[in-house]
Amino acid sequence: MDDVVSGAYLFTGERSARALRLNRMAMSFTSAENRERFKIDEEAYMEAAELSDTEKDLVRRRDWKGMMDYGASIYLVIKIGGVTGHPLPVIGAHTAGRV
Amino acid sequence: MATIIGGIGSSHAPTIGVAYDRGQQNDPAWAPLFAGYEPARQWLDEIKPDLFLIVYNDHANSFFFDRWPTFALGVGPVHKQADEGWGKRPLADLPGDPEFGWHLARSLVEQEFDPTICQDMSVDHGVLSFLPLLTDTDWKIPVVPLAVNVIQHPMPSAKRLWKLGVAIRRAVESFPADKRIVVFGTGGLTHQLHGTRFGQKNEAWDNEFMDRLETDPEPLADMPLREYMERGGTEGVEMIMWLAMRAAMGPTVKRIHRNYTAPFTTGYGLLALAN
Repeated sequence: MDDVVSGAYLFTGERSARALRLNRMAMSFTSAENRERFKIDEEAYMEAAELSDTEKDLVRRRDWKGMMDYGASIYLVIKIGGVTGHPLPVIGAHTAGRV
Repeated sequence: MATIIGGIGSSHAPTIGVAYDRGQQNDPAWAPLFAGYEPARQWLDEIKPDLFLIVYNDHANSFFFDRWPTFALGVGPVHKQADEGWGKRPLADLPGDPEFGWHLARSLVEQEFDPTICQDMSVDHGVLSFLPLLTDTDWKIPVVPLAVNVIQHPMPSAKRLWKLGVAIRRAVESFPADKRIVVFGTGGLTHQLHGTRFGQKNEAWDNEFMDRLETDPEPLADMPLREYMERGGTEGVEMIMWLAMRAAMGPTVKRIHRNYTAPFTTGYGLLALAN
């Protein structure tokens, strides 16, 4: 069961396990070389990162709220935001359902 | 014997680093923050520390959830800057202090704290966002960073952070050589980075927290994490790291300086304490 405090998911072990691949791909963007590879071919990058179809779709749609619902950590979601040009205020407002 | 000559509580945030690098020190929104660090910086210049011991958290930049330490201690000679996903800032790598770092590792383990001992641990904005506001960026003062998990549950309690501070004090007092140390507790203050309350902060609680941390801190260590998160957001739970600094300072402290400003989504606090 999701644990929600202050209107937000707690990033629990269960969520961390479920979203491990998505979070791992986001972590890979701490390398400039990886950021460039993703920008050149997102689909190939997501395939190599072994994302599931659900996970790929969340990234394709830039569905920040969906990523959080799925189990991602906000600290990793903002790295996907970084490589796709979406800053925290945009991501945060989306997770709040304001846009 | 080494001594703790000061304690600093400070918020950390990537935005502080961005504003610093862009030279926004005098922008109306940022000036109260940057000016607020000046008195603390002058005090640090006067007391001449030999070492900064910084209790902070990594934001999935040095570590990932495949292996995520509850506590991690940087004992290496150099702490590189982590690329957080948008490139590194124009800052030199931080010097470490392996001699003191390994002493702290031994002492903490003896006191039943068991940090992951890291000889090659990069640091992110948890250390580097506020540090240029407090000391010259040629980094003459070595840093020993101690990272705490405040991101993935289960995470250590406020009481555990208090006890960590007590253990840090004992470790410092058992170091055989003279060394003048300033202990930092960083993070917070209140902020909520996602969910229906995105962007909310709690300025009344931020100020109450800083009041109580100074004069009557121990009850703060009894507060459940859930209460910290309800009052200050799920990310605001970082505030508990200030308790380690406060516990390391001993029972009575003298306030040197305090600042608070909250122009954006995070309450930015600063508290400088002497014994």
